[in-house]
Amino acid sequence: MFIHKAIAFIKRDFSIQTSYKLAFILHWLGYFFPLIIFYFIAKLFEKAQAMPLEAYGGRYFPYVLIGIVIVNFFGARAGIFSSSIRREQLTGTLESLLVTPTKISTTVVSLGFWNIISSTIVAFIYLVCGWLFFGVDLSNANIISSIVVFGLTIICSVSLGIISASFTMVYKMGDPVSYLFGNVMGILGGVFFPVTMLPKGLRFISHFLPITFSLKALRLSLLKGYSVGQLTTEIIALLLFSIFLLPLSILIFKYSVREAKKSGSLIHY
Amino acid sequence: MDYAVRIIKLSKEFARIRDWPSLLSNPFRNNQTLLAVNNIDLEVKRGRAFCILGPNGAGKTTLIKILCTLILPTSGTAFINGYEITKDDQKIRASIGLVTGEERSLYWRLTGRQNLYFFATLYNVFRPLVKQRVEELLQLLSIAEPDKRVGLYSAGMKQRLAIARSLLHNPPIIIMDEPTKSLDPRVSQELRIFIRDEFVHKQGKTMLFTTHNLTEAEFLADDLAIIEQGKIKAQGSWDELKGNYVYP
Repeated sequence: MFIHKAIAFIKRDFSIQTSYKLAFILHWLGYFFPLIIFYFIAKLFEKAQAMPLEAYGGRYFPYVLIGIVIVNFFGARAGIFSSSIRREQLTGTLESLLVTPTKISTTVVSLGFWNIISSTIVAFIYLVCGWLFFGVDLSNANIISSIVVFGLTIICSVSLGIISASFTMVYKMGDPVSYLFGNVMGILGGVFFPVTMLPKGLRFISHFLPITFSLKALRLSLLKGYSVGQLTTEIIALLLFSIFLLPLSILIFKYSVREAKKSGSLIHY
Repeated sequence: MDYAVRIIKLSKEFARIRDWPSLLSNPFRNNQTLLAVNNIDLEVKRGRAFCILGPNGAGKTTLIKILCTLILPTSGTAFINGYEITKDDQKIRASIGLVTGEERSLYWRLTGRQNLYFFATLYNVFRPLVKQRVEELLQLLSIAEPDKRVGLYSAGMKQRLAIARSLLHNPPIIIMDEPTKSLDPRVSQELRIFIRDEFVHKQGKTMLFTTHNLTEAEFLADDLAIIEQGKIKAQGSWDELKGNYVYP
C-alpha cells in the first residue's frame, strides 16, 4: 500500500533528521529569521504609500508573510525530490531502495513526503506567529478556500519537484528546474512584491508560473476572506497547471528512469 | 530443467564519459563505447549455488545490476524466476534478495532494527508479520545489538544486517555481489560458512554470487562461470572445470 510506504519514509526521515540534534534545532530556528527581517523591513516602509498592496489590505508584512509561506513550497520544495535522490546517491542507499519491489515512482515521491509535512508545519507556524506576534489580521480568513488553494499548490510543487528529480536521475547535478524556480519565482511570482510592479513583458511571463496564482489566491483568501467562488480565475488556473503538470511530470520521470537504466547511471552520483 | 536464472545472449555497451576536448569537438555524437557484458549465455538451476568468478573490471557487477533490473541491456535478455528483466521488473525484484559488498547500503543513522522495519515495508512484507519476521532474522543472523545505530556496527555485523534485509521477503533467489569484499579473512570465512549452511544446505535457495576470490568460489559454489572482459570463458561444475581452465 502506498500510504504504508509513505509513512515508512516519513518515519525514516524524521528519525534521521532528529538524530542530528543540533542541526535539527538550528534548522527549525532558521525558519524564524526571515520573519523577523521582513517584519522590520515592513515597519520601515509602514508610512509609505503602497498602492499595489491595496488589494491585499495595504500592509507589507502580511503580504510578504504569505509570500514566504508559499515560496517554501515552490522554490525550495521543487528541489526537494532531486536533493533527496542526490542524498541517497551520495550515501550509497539508492541502490537498496531501487532493488525493492516498490515502484520507483512511489519511492521518489515518498522521498519528499517528510519535507512536504515539515513545510506544511512551517507554513502553519509562520501564520500563527504572524497572527500572534506580528499583528497579521487573519480574522477574516476563509479556511475552505485557503485549503483548496494550498492543496492545488502542493500538487503543482510536487509535479515540479518530480520533473526536477528526473533531471537528477539523468544528469546527477545541474538541475535546471529547481534552479529556474528557485531564482525566477522570487522575482516573477510576486513573493516579495506584487507582479503589477513588473514591466509589462515580465508581468506577462508571470502568468505562466503557478506560484503567481497560488500567492494571489492565498493572500486574498487569508487576508480578505475571499471564497472559492470569488477566486474562480486563480483556482481554475491552478487546476489547469495541476492537470497539465502532474501527468507531464510522471511521463518525464518514467523517461528519465529508462534513460538512466540505459546509460547504467541510475545509482551513480 | 527448471532454471532460476536464464541469460540469453546478453550484452551491455556503455557510452564512455567524454573529456572536454572530445565533447567540444563533437557535442552531439559519442562514438566511444565500452562493451562491459559481451553476448553472455548462462543458466542457473534452482537450489544451486552459482558463482560468477572474474577479476576486477570483468563485468560481474554490470551483469548483476542488469539481473536486478537496475541497468537495461543493449541486446539479449534474461529470465529471473521465469520473469523477463525488461518487462517484469517489479516481479523480479520481489523474487530476489540482493546483497552487495558495499557497507553504505544501509542507513547508518538508524538502528539495525529500524533499518529492517523500513525495508520490510518496501519489500511488501505482510504488515502483521513484519515484527515476527524481523525478530526471526535478527536471531538467525545473530545480530546481538539491533537497537544500536548501524554506523556503530563492525563491518561484519553490517554485512549480516544486509543479508537479513535481503531475506525479509523470503525470496527464492539470493544474488550476492562480492559479499565479503570489505571483510577481514576471519569474518569472511564465518560469513561463508553461514551462507553455505543456511542458504544453500538448509533453506535450499538458489544463490548467484560474484567474486574474484577463487577460495570463496570453491567454498560456496556448486557451479561456476568464469568471466573476463565481459565474456564467459568457461562454465560448468567444479569437477568439469577442474584442470581444464587456468584462472588468471
